[in-house]
Amino acid sequence: MRVLVTGASGFLGKAVVRAAAAAGHRVVALVRPTADVSNLGWPDNVEVIKGDLRQMGAWRDHLDVDLVIHLAAAPSGDIATQFAGTVQATENLLDSLPLRSLRRFIHISSFSVYDYSIRPKHGIIDEATALESQPQARDAYTITKMLQESLVIDRCDDTGLECVIIRPGAIYGPGKDWDCGTALSFKSFDLLFGPLGAFRLTYVDNCADAIVRAIDADVGKARVFNIVDDECPSLWKYHNACRRAGARAGFVIPVPWLLIAALGRMVRLVNRLAFRNRAKLPELLEYRRQQARWRPLRYSNALARNVLGWTPSVKLAEGVARTVVKKADSAG
Amino acid sequence: MSVGVADNRLKVAVVGCGGIANEHLPYLASSPLAHLVGVCDTSRATAMFAQTRFGADGFFLDAQEMLQSTQPDVVHVLTPPQSHGALVSMSLKAGAHVICEKPMTASASETAELLALAKTCGKWLIESRNLLFNDNVIKINGLVEDGTLGEIREVDLLLSLDLNAGPFGDLNLEGPGVQLPGGAVQDFLPHLAYLFLHFAGAATSAGRVCGILENLSGNARVGFDHLDALVLSDNCRGRLRISSDLKPDMFRLIVRGSKGIAESDFYNPYLRVQLSEDSGKWAPFEQVRAGYRLARSGFGNLRDKVLQHGTYHGMPRMLDAIYKALASGGSSPIAASDIEATAALVDALVALRSTR
Repeated sequence: MRVLVTGASGFLGKAVVRAAAAAGHRVVALVRPTADVSNLGWPDNVEVIKGDLRQMGAWRDHLDVDLVIHLAAAPSGDIATQFAGTVQATENLLDSLPLRSLRRFIHISSFSVYDYSIRPKHGIIDEATALESQPQARDAYTITKMLQESLVIDRCDDTGLECVIIRPGAIYGPGKDWDCGTALSFKSFDLLFGPLGAFRLTYVDNCADAIVRAIDADVGKARVFNIVDDECPSLWKYHNACRRAGARAGFVIPVPWLLIAALGRMVRLVNRLAFRNRAKLPELLEYRRQQARWRPLRYSNALARNVLGWTPSVKLAEGVARTVVKKADSAG
Repeated sequence: MSVGVADNRLKVAVVGCGGIANEHLPYLASSPLAHLVGVCDTSRATAMFAQTRFGADGFFLDAQEMLQSTQPDVVHVLTPPQSHGALVSMSLKAGAHVICEKPMTASASETAELLALAKTCGKWLIESRNLLFNDNVIKINGLVEDGTLGEIREVDLLLSLDLNAGPFGDLNLEGPGVQLPGGAVQDFLPHLAYLFLHFAGAATSAGRVCGILENLSGNARVGFDHLDALVLSDNCRGRLRISSDLKPDMFRLIVRGSKGIAESDFYNPYLRVQLSEDSGKWAPFEQVRAGYRLARSGFGNLRDKVLQHGTYHGMPRMLDAIYKALASGGSSPIAASDIEATAALVDALVALRSTR
């Protein structure tokens, strides 16, 4: 199948291109013009197209594909920057694609779209969990990822195109270790918030494998798939795993979730009473954002395993070892 | 459906819902003087988002259609500069007052044409100059007006901001970052020009200009990223500088008079006032006092950061002044002659272009 991968030079995009090509698909990899693809080692069945979805450009001449895997997004910057790189970019892509002739559109969303302020049934976040009802109370990333997902679903529904939404957890791997789960570091001390809560991790190659399986899996009526590995370790366990693998992790200071939540609630009350909710605070102090990141919950990947036939092959110890080795190589 | 004061509110439409619209729309969504009847953007997702977020009655993809459909009293033109001329003209002819983001046009002659059209239509045409309404500019105004600083002799405006790092210099995008003869520098230049003219008291004369406007980075998209100019008006002189290769980012305003100096910064605001009596043996005391005030400013800036009282905090104040004047039938807080003088000074500065 001829597959367009947007955001192909990103952290997950590179792995998706490799996995799709390895699965025998002819990949059209859309990368930004300034991206260096010379050392990525992509095979010959990968056609590299340079372009930026924020602008209608020559990339639109390469859309004779069967299927799209849409990863492109702007995960940082102010709301205008993220809106342009995530929502407008997606709008431009959807406006340019021959949607009615595509077989499927696989959209890579995020766990950030879920509502963490309501405790889900049995404390488990799965595909049926309610979506965030107040994205403006979270951050620009949540706002734009929710808008992006909704845009994709609406446009696919309008044109009768089958749409698969993949919501990965925290993707880790060589180049991205989430600071070993640390919320704050002071010299040789690492503060772990909610250290016993599960860290919704997925190793980058595992996640890419799930996405590539969604290319031709018979998904039936399922549309959304959460992607987390079988083993979602606690933040403390992940920190220990990183340290054992040789990462320069500091001495752990565990900060219980109840303490973090109490601080967040107190700050929220002060904000409401003293500042009429006008204060914009760091993630560490904003209760709704604290909940999204540190509230102790569990995560299910049952649907992805059952419907996509996905099994995360890289286990935690191996994934962490690969991540730490790469970091050490880069530092050295 | 709005009730009560709704009948007296001015119907407002916004064209362009990108970055700067996020500074206009919060005021329009909350002001008792304005009723947001429509927002327009060529991107459907952008227009819909602005409508939902700020409670506009409708969203549009075509400005002409919005004007015909909503019949606004006021139109905010917040699109990229190259599209301002046509949109301003269309809005004025549709019978609306216009508030346009800076730079309104690429040249003083185009600005004069639009102002003439506004006069013919009997409508206001206002180019935004929000920094004049920032806290410390208002305080310095007070020091000028009550004679504390004496006769104003020098006004320096020093902006350090990497124009290559933002969308203007983004090499992933094609074409020029901004379609203005002075490149990215010209996008910021009206701020420096109107502030200089305001404090220099030279509302109708650009005076003599010398200096250089150049591209130091070699980034073609940005056009020009460095300006260093001296401006000499009737009784006042000043240095206007925009640098992309200096850190940290700052936007310093220094007003020097015959009796004292006032200094502030738009990015990390503080106000330092040194008077003639603060010299000689009293200078150390002034320095201690200034240090204390600087520390207080630091705490104030921390509070402002949390409360989102940022560089654009003068915007709602400016819009409120305009809307109050419109509602009461008063005169515009930003005169057409000031807008023309600003455009003339910008023209003179852009003429310093170097081909190096």
